[in-house]
Amino acid sequence: MVKLTSSDGESFDVEKDVAERSVLIKNMIEDVGDASTEIPIPNVTANVLKKVLEWCEHHKSDPIAANEDDTDARKKSTDIDEWDQKFMQVDQEMLFEIILAANYLDIKALLEVGCKTVANMIKGKTPEEIRRTFNIQNDFTPEEEAQIRRENEWAEDR
Amino acid sequence: MPPSDSAADSLTSTWAIVEVGIDKVLAKNLEEGLTPALYMKIYTAIYQFCTAARPTTQVGHPATSRGAQLLGAELYNKLIEYLEKHLENIKLDAWQFVDEGLIKYYIRTWNRYTTGARYLNHIFEYLNRHWVKRERDEGRRTVYDVNTLCLVKWRSVFFDSIQSNLMTAVLKLIEKQRNGESIENTDIKNVVGSFVNLGLDEHDSRKVSLSVYKTYFEGPFISSTEAYYKDESKRFVAENSVVDYMKKADVRLQEEAGRVQLYLHQSTEKILMRTCETVLIYDHADLLRDEFQNLLETNRQEDLKRMFTLLSRIQNGLEPLRGKFETHVRKQGLAAIEKLANEAGENLDPKAYADALLEVYRQYAHLVQYAFNDDTDFVKSLDNACREFINRNKVCSQSSSKSPELLAKYSDALLKKSGKSAEDSDLDAKLNDIMTIFKYIDDKDVFQKFYTRMLSRRLVHGTSTSDDAESSMISKLKEACGHEYTSKLQRMFQDMNVSQDLQIQFREAMAKNLDPSELTIDFTILVLGTNFWPLTPINTTFNLPDELVKTFERFQSFYQSKHSGRKLTWLWQLSKGELKANYPKSSNKVGYTFQVSTFQMAILLPYNNGDTYSYEQLQQITALNKEYLVGSLSILVKARVLLLEGSGEVGDPGTKYTLNMDFKNKKIRVNLNVPLRSEQKQETETTHKTIEEDRKMLMQSAIVRIMKARKVLKHVVLVQETIAQIKSRFTPKVPEIKKCIDFLIEKEYLERIDGDRYSYLA
Repeated sequence: MVKLTSSDGESFDVEKDVAERSVLIKNMIEDVGDASTEIPIPNVTANVLKKVLEWCEHHKSDPIAANEDDTDARKKSTDIDEWDQKFMQVDQEMLFEIILAANYLDIKALLEVGCKTVANMIKGKTPEEIRRTFNIQNDFTPEEEAQIRRENEWAEDR
Repeated sequence: MPPSDSAADSLTSTWAIVEVGIDKVLAKNLEEGLTPALYMKIYTAIYQFCTAARPTTQVGHPATSRGAQLLGAELYNKLIEYLEKHLENIKLDAWQFVDEGLIKYYIRTWNRYTTGARYLNHIFEYLNRHWVKRERDEGRRTVYDVNTLCLVKWRSVFFDSIQSNLMTAVLKLIEKQRNGESIENTDIKNVVGSFVNLGLDEHDSRKVSLSVYKTYFEGPFISSTEAYYKDESKRFVAENSVVDYMKKADVRLQEEAGRVQLYLHQSTEKILMRTCETVLIYDHADLLRDEFQNLLETNRQEDLKRMFTLLSRIQNGLEPLRGKFETHVRKQGLAAIEKLANEAGENLDPKAYADALLEVYRQYAHLVQYAFNDDTDFVKSLDNACREFINRNKVCSQSSSKSPELLAKYSDALLKKSGKSAEDSDLDAKLNDIMTIFKYIDDKDVFQKFYTRMLSRRLVHGTSTSDDAESSMISKLKEACGHEYTSKLQRMFQDMNVSQDLQIQFREAMAKNLDPSELTIDFTILVLGTNFWPLTPINTTFNLPDELVKTFERFQSFYQSKHSGRKLTWLWQLSKGELKANYPKSSNKVGYTFQVSTFQMAILLPYNNGDTYSYEQLQQITALNKEYLVGSLSILVKARVLLLEGSGEVGDPGTKYTLNMDFKNKKIRVNLNVPLRSEQKQETETTHKTIEEDRKMLMQSAIVRIMKARKVLKHVVLVQETIAQIKSRFTPKVPEIKKCIDFLIEKEYLERIDGDRYSYLA
């Protein structure tokens, strides 16, 4: 068992297998060689860490992709398995927190699921709809926007 | 962490945290101090540095933006700065060490440094994953992941300046070991490992290239090895025998092969062994080869084996030896036969001859197998040599067919019934020995002729030691020469069996038709196909004794009734019988039994009616010509069955022959049917004569076969093809082939067109 402590001081006891879904933690345990003392996770709050660990627990026996090439196919599709879809049904703030934590902790598969979820939120929407979805202010001038449109014309569906 | 206004501030504060960690990882003792808390602190600091949102001038100019800013260059440069300083210190420290001390120092710092590098790589993983990856993806090949960066810096700052001293130390250590001192193999193994790991592939950091090892280790190592053995072998050869040198070289080669396993990279084996082979063997190859003859003559098998093994390692190393070996074996074989021929003179025992050939063969066949590892070229040399001394030795000087003749005679001696017949297994081994020599015989047709003749004699006279041995020998010959070669021999056995059945049928027929009082003579017969048996009627008239005429006529008519149209030719000279002699006074009641030839029978039977006959009377009664009459008479006179009256030689006109009533012999059965000496000699001569005729036939039929297929052919080609076809039986001479061609032209099978070509006439 490994003890992880969130930035706001909450401790989680998790199986070593589960914690080692995070390459960061896996490398650290390997290098320091001591899994008994508690490991601080200075960048992740308890509610996010809890969520991340829930995902790790569910995926603890997934094969770990050996290198990047063979995950290519998975990366390209935006398909997400059912459990992960449900898992990602959280508010936007939490979604982004999970993505950040996955990046920080180096949990590739979780990062991918998070990014795919965001990608699916963007898919098929107009710029205006996207701005609305993510609450983004349009800071382009009309001239700038026209120029971008012209430059990207080739990429439009027709 | 609150967003920092100034990038410089952020770098300074981040580096302050990071440097403490690097210090611990690279400089201080690893075991103390790197706690999970500190580890996470450094990682997080780097993470935050890299992800901090900083104002950049590019915002608002999307056309030139390449997307999200990735930060890390400053941190990366700081790390380089740190590593360079750290390695400069290591380099300064290193100057105080030389030789083994330097090796130890290098290995110690290398191990420490590479372990640290692995930690750093993990701690800087966030930098690796994002900033480094992006830089490399964009083609900046001089940016490496942190672990590789550590190795690159080790190489450029420390290794490049130390490697020459280090290699000097390593080579000194290896020389020590070659001189017999014991050293720490693992030290060198570790140095090798370091050189291998420093071979970074510029294009793909995950791949290892051996460039550093090849250039800085293998190169100097191979040259020093070459120099060492050049020197050593030169000195050793000057002071020791060639035999001792070969032992030395053998040991050295084994040691060097072992060295690869001990501490070198596997890829060095090939070039190392090639270098050693060149210096130790190739450079002294002539010296070694000069010793070969000497070793052969003294039969030093171990040393020959060693020489073979050594020279087989270099290209063309064995080539000159094969010729020498062949010459030596041929000379030995010729010498052995010459010695035998001089001792034996005219009466050369076939067995002694075969044994002499075999002894030489065996000795060198064993050598080839033991010392030369059954090398195909040496086997070929042995074969060539054997073919030479078996076919062209002193005994064969008058005629090349002497060898097959003697060999056939030896096999006859083995297969004939005799007092001391060999054990079955022993006999088979001896027959195999014959086959061993047979393989090398050029004139296999001569062997066949003699063998057939002697087999027929064994069968006709019932003197074969066993049917099994006979058929075993025939199957051996068949295996060696094919079905055609032995088909006649097999037919002979078949005739023997058919005759047996015929015999029984004849007896049954006679018993049915005749009164037992008329069947007073015990009669057996062999009916043999003229084409398959080398038997010819002899040139003499002969009156069958009256006593036998009835039986003769009965069989004649019996046979004709079964096979009308077949002609029976009676071979009287091969016929024999037994006579009961009750007249001699010493014979008691039993009486002697004389085993006689049919000719002798014809001479003796008249003595039932009178005691003395003159030569002329016997000649008239038997109608035999002089040669056979005198021959048969001589034996009877010599055995004192008949007494030659008065003076004179047997066969002189007017000589008289009286039955010896006082005949005495230790045995009750007296064998008088011994072959005539003249007959034996004549047989050999006629055999040779028939061989010449058969050869002509064989050549002619080969020529016709070839021409029939090719229609028109040049003279030279025809001769070549004829030789190729016949070679398995004997080696035809070109003038003989020419004679056959001329003969065929005369007979209008062929015609000559435009000078050197022949055309087939259908």
